[in-house]
Amino acid sequence: MIRPVVSGIVLALLASLATAAPNSARRVQAFARLPDWTGLWETALSKALTTAGGRSAGTGGAYLKLVGHPPFNPEWEQKYQAALASPAVQAARDETLKGCGIGSPEYVRSFPNIMEAPMVFQVVVTPEETLFVMDHGEVRHIYTDRRTHPGADDLWPTPLGDSIGHWEGQTLVIDTIARTAGVLSMFSPAAELSARAHFIERVHQTDKNTLEDRLTIDDPERFIHPWVVTFRYTRAADLTRFIPYDCEADRNPIENGKLTIAPP
Amino acid sequence: MRSLTLAGAALAAMAPVWAHHSGAMFDAQKTVTLQGTVRTFEWANPHCWVQLLVMKDGTAQEWSVEMGATTELYRSGWRPHTLQAGDSVTIVVHPLRDGSPGAQFLSAFGADGMPLGKARTRTSS
Repeated sequence: MIRPVVSGIVLALLASLATAAPNSARRVQAFARLPDWTGLWETALSKALTTAGGRSAGTGGAYLKLVGHPPFNPEWEQKYQAALASPAVQAARDETLKGCGIGSPEYVRSFPNIMEAPMVFQVVVTPEETLFVMDHGEVRHIYTDRRTHPGADDLWPTPLGDSIGHWEGQTLVIDTIARTAGVLSMFSPAAELSARAHFIERVHQTDKNTLEDRLTIDDPERFIHPWVVTFRYTRAADLTRFIPYDCEADRNPIENGKLTIAPP
Repeated sequence: MRSLTLAGAALAAMAPVWAHHSGAMFDAQKTVTLQGTVRTFEWANPHCWVQLLVMKDGTAQEWSVEMGATTELYRSGWRPHTLQAGDSVTIVVHPLRDGSPGAQFLSAFGADGMPLGKARTRTSS
């Protein structure tokens, strides 16, 4: 009886020591090999919104990459074209498009859309994982501890998918699978991916103030070849702290298929 | 088939981009200058709002003026107390298409005629 109690105390003591212990020399060395991506980064979309009114000076095509034409196979190209001509899809794109809040579709918070449509985000690089912390609230976990994706029994589609990564020098290579089937980009609701879509990202810093994410999307069910888009992010040096972009006070409900302004 | 594709892509490319939602409800071809008194200034996400009392034919009409998110305003030099209830202000807007008293913010000037906020700083390049 006494033995288990003593063992428990010893284990608890060891656990507290482990918690208080400094990083091992090995972990410190691992940190030293990683790039410094501290600070805040903004998307091309954010950079385009140069007024307090929240509207871009130019057109969306100048800032958005996922609105391009994915290389669908004949079957899905036909569906894509039908969707482009669909009044419902046109309305979702042109009339009722919302990034968050009342009536916004779930896909606005999915990967890879969130790599294009937050305003500002932070990248937390550790030896074990890299986190992409978006101002809209999503956090991507990129595990870099040499694990593999979960087995079939332990994996199911989610809006952000399952991501693992590794470092090739100063480039983070991310492999993402199991992303929920559906719309690819909030700005292009006609284009949909299957749950078998596979994403490879190569993220690296091209200069002091620019982070580049070269994303290759392959969808063996729907594409005839992989599709590559490149996001470029700029250091938001004028911001010294992370400001969340929540939707707590959304006043733009959709009524009769149109966005409106609700009273305060 | 090809021309349809291009047409679809072109439509997406032609539209301006908005921080939170489509701008279809606002008439971007029409610019209106509102002079009035601030009832409230709401510092919130996804939009900040000015509730502005504008005199029309001897009666105060309340306008809801939609601005950007707090991050956008902050980076444009605005702060939660830049406007306060009772302030006289002139706001330039794109009005709602349906004619109701709501609008999208373009710029604002205080009682002294000076612009509120500032051009957004670009310190990253």
